[in-house]
Amino acid sequence: MSLLRSIAGVIALARPINSATTVQTRRHFKRWVSPTLRELAHRVKKQGVQKPEPRSGFVEWNYRSELFAFGKRLNEDFQLPLLQTAFTQRTYAHQEQERQRKLGIAEADLQMGDNSQLATKGVHIAKAYIEAYLQNALPKVPPVGQQAIASYLLSTETLAHVCTHLGAKELIFSTEYPPSSETLAQTLHAIIGALSDSSGVERAFLFVRDFICTQLNQKDLLEIWTPEQPLQLLGEICTQKKLGEPEPRLLGDCGKNTVLAAYHVGIYANRQLLGKGFGEDLQMATETAAIDALQTLFEMHDDRQPFDFRLQLEAKNVRLD
Amino acid sequence: MSNSHLFLKSGFPRAPLQNGVGRYVCQLQRLTLKFCKNNGSSRGMRDFIENHLVDFAKENPGIVVYVKPRRHRAPVLVGEYLNGDREWLSVRNSTQTEISKWIDLLKTQNGSSSSLRLRKMWHTDVPSIQGPWTPFLLRSPDAHNQTYPTSEASQPLDVPQTATEKLIELFKQQQLEADTVLEQKRAE
Repeated sequence: MSLLRSIAGVIALARPINSATTVQTRRHFKRWVSPTLRELAHRVKKQGVQKPEPRSGFVEWNYRSELFAFGKRLNEDFQLPLLQTAFTQRTYAHQEQERQRKLGIAEADLQMGDNSQLATKGVHIAKAYIEAYLQNALPKVPPVGQQAIASYLLSTETLAHVCTHLGAKELIFSTEYPPSSETLAQTLHAIIGALSDSSGVERAFLFVRDFICTQLNQKDLLEIWTPEQPLQLLGEICTQKKLGEPEPRLLGDCGKNTVLAAYHVGIYANRQLLGKGFGEDLQMATETAAIDALQTLFEMHDDRQPFDFRLQLEAKNVRLD
Repeated sequence: MSNSHLFLKSGFPRAPLQNGVGRYVCQLQRLTLKFCKNNGSSRGMRDFIENHLVDFAKENPGIVVYVKPRRHRAPVLVGEYLNGDREWLSVRNSTQTEISKWIDLLKTQNGSSSSLRLRKMWHTDVPSIQGPWTPFLLRSPDAHNQTYPTSEASQPLDVPQTATEKLIELFKQQQLEADTVLEQKRAE
């Protein structure tokens, strides 16, 4: 086929142009397309995995509009210089100063602020509000459990997840791209600090409630905090609440002395069933039952009433250090 | 699902960052309108920019709008979402009403819907409120004090009637009938 086509082409070329005024354009298969694409793909593959390009390097990028839209999107009024400071990492500010010094620009002319101060402020606000919120939402959980849940909410992973989904990733001035999760978490703290500076600490509290506390929605609290030594803890709680001595009893078993043994144990106090659990041996089943009883006593079962995220905590109930 | 959707990323309808539980955040963060100033295929886009774009930007201060003229290329809408998705939409030869409808779609979804195949139209983190079934669930109270092996539980559930039993039953029935007939006669 290609031979025929080339012959036809040669004939067409060899034929003298009769009317010199019109030039016939020839249409044919572009046979260079596929080899070129193949070569380009080969080169891309040879270069290996490339780093993602920051969005700020594009032509259509206006940092001021982005900052403005960031606040408006979250229904908050930020002071833009403060917000920009919140997005500037300390390492980046140092790098910029270093670059200015190398270029011979006099110092103390333009000082670039960094977000470390705002971040420490934000840490205080977030921690205080989350502790107060948990105190209100899970009043029966002991302080150890509340601290565990608070530290989950304030962990770097959770904060980084929240921060990326607020669209802060592209706005951060940082030496590395994409920014690390520590950077993202610190930036979120700084944003909270900037918000409290721009529109008051109440707005900052609401921000924490709406974006960080809501991460608890539909979460299994047992995955976040499981009491260690549940039987001992249950004994203490029962004496505190005067429920009587907790007593594990066998409710049923099957497959005894086999590999697939299963025991069903219930925990009673004063002839009242507190909780039940399964296990492959008696000890494990008892512990599971104790955890179940504790969940019921602490009101942190997965079928508990959902968290109230419309809760308005008064500022005097939040203890800011 | 057609063959062209086989290799599409698949997922479930999900609200990112528990959106709407605390407060609603519009997930479209950037919108880029690319168009040509002369070409006929961009006419609807030019009309949209002239008549509606400023109003749109005022109504949605949380969306950054970029307008990018370029020569002799078809008009394009590019939406960027908070979850990092980017949706590219060709609006060649579309009218301005069509373009406003497309922009409304981009504004109301939470990611690039055209690059996601929905496995189901719903999703739940808690598939069962009751919890899983176990053999101990709703067990008869009699079963607790039973010592095995028992003669009752060892019987097959359906023991067919033997021929002898059937004969005995028939005989008893006959006798009963005879007795009733006798009693009726006596009564008369």
